Amino acid sequence: MKARRMARAIALASLAVLAVCAAATLPTDSIYQLRAALTTQKGAAAGLDLYRGHPTVLSMFYGDCPSYCPMLITAVQVYEGQLDEAARARLRVLLVSFDAARDTPSRLAELARLHRADVARWTFASAREPDARRIAELLGFHYRKLPDGSFDHTQTITLVDGEGRVLASTSKLIGDQAFEAKLAASTAADRR
Amino acid sequence: MRARVRLMAVALLSAPAAAAAAADNPFVPVPEARFHSALPLGNEDGVTVPGFLLQRHPVTNAEYLAFVAGHPQWQKGSVPATLADADYLGHWMGPLDPGPGAAPAQPVTRVSWFAAEAYCEAESARLPTWYEWELAAAASATRRDARADPGWRQQMLDWYAHPAGDRLPAVEQGTADVYGLYDIHGLVWEWVHDFDSLLPADADPERFCGSGAQNLQQKENYPVLMRIALLGSLRAADTGHGVGFRCARDAAAKP
Repeated sequence: MKARRMARAIALASLAVLAVCAAATLPTDSIYQLRAALTTQKGAAAGLDLYRGHPTVLSMFYGDCPSYCPMLITAVQVYEGQLDEAARARLRVLLVSFDAARDTPSRLAELARLHRADVARWTFASAREPDARRIAELLGFHYRKLPDGSFDHTQTITLVDGEGRVLASTSKLIGDQAFEAKLAASTAADRR
Repeated sequence: MRARVRLMAVALLSAPAAAAAAADNPFVPVPEARFHSALPLGNEDGVTVPGFLLQRHPVTNAEYLAFVAGHPQWQKGSVPATLADADYLGHWMGPLDPGPGAAPAQPVTRVSWFAAEAYCEAESARLPTWYEWELAAAASATRRDARADPGWRQQMLDWYAHPAGDRLPAVEQGTADVYGLYDIHGLVWEWVHDFDSLLPADADPERFCGSGAQNLQQKENYPVLMRIALLGSLRAADTGHGVGFRCARDAAAKP
């Protein structure tokens, strides 16, 4: 009995070791090396590596943003709209709000509905400080809060591979051909 | 077996060392103040900085050693390239050995912003914001805002005109400011949490000395403008020879 319990403990321990090893195999230049806490539009807790295993487009926004952020969301839809259906099905999109106080899960869900986002592949999430700024640093995205409560920010759309390595990034909302090419290549059938 | 012995050694090292480090670098209160920042945009009427606590001196090699002993993922050689560049702790001998190039009482340098964030988090603290740092940096030994004092300004210019050279002095060799803080000026540059957001989003840090600088307030406040320029040129994974940090806490938070 005791022996069996011990065997089970050993089995569990080796499973734990395996799990640690799997995590450790992340490439050193992966953005998923950052441990960050996100809350999704479903109210679920998630990490930045939510879509690990899939080519993923990431960017940041805030819900009260009057013009740029809606354009950014549309821009990502236009970029992925250029892919054929099978390629698009392989792509994931993660948009992270840096205004967690106001961008609650219900507001994020509303935003997803408003933009008719494909929530099977898209996630709207928010991150609190200090995680939001850590994610922004990884993505080369700069923002700061202004006295009126709005944000001043740069624009960057980032494409990573399944392991979180940056393949391309762009600050152009439309027509960045190098970005389009990387997007097509990373979602092509022979990649998998 | 050998690995186990080493693990035990690390455990023995980490607990008392971490406690000692915290005791040697206490958090000093800086009361709430309204002041004029050198940053452009949105604060021409002054900004109110709520009271906060700031560590008495920049984090030292000894303090940082206690941290990495308890957090192996931040040891030299173990940090992913996304979180620190290849020169991370480049002057240390080994993962748990600062060696002769990094004396215990010297400020730790060649640490990335991500590493500084992680260190402060482990201290139940955070990096100060720019406004917090700037408020603390305005103080002299006798006044909370000495920026208009020609004598203080000259002292600043003299400090910044004499680079530390190869060997950094130990912390707390000079005099404390009015809050009881040491080495805000004259020793190392310090990371702040919002280091990359000091200039407007459309400003090009490379052109900081040109048109970007036109927006800055207090153009005579040379030490602070230098900080803004330097921080604006860094990326979060960068590790600079002269870049260290100290941690802050909200005034309400219990240490």
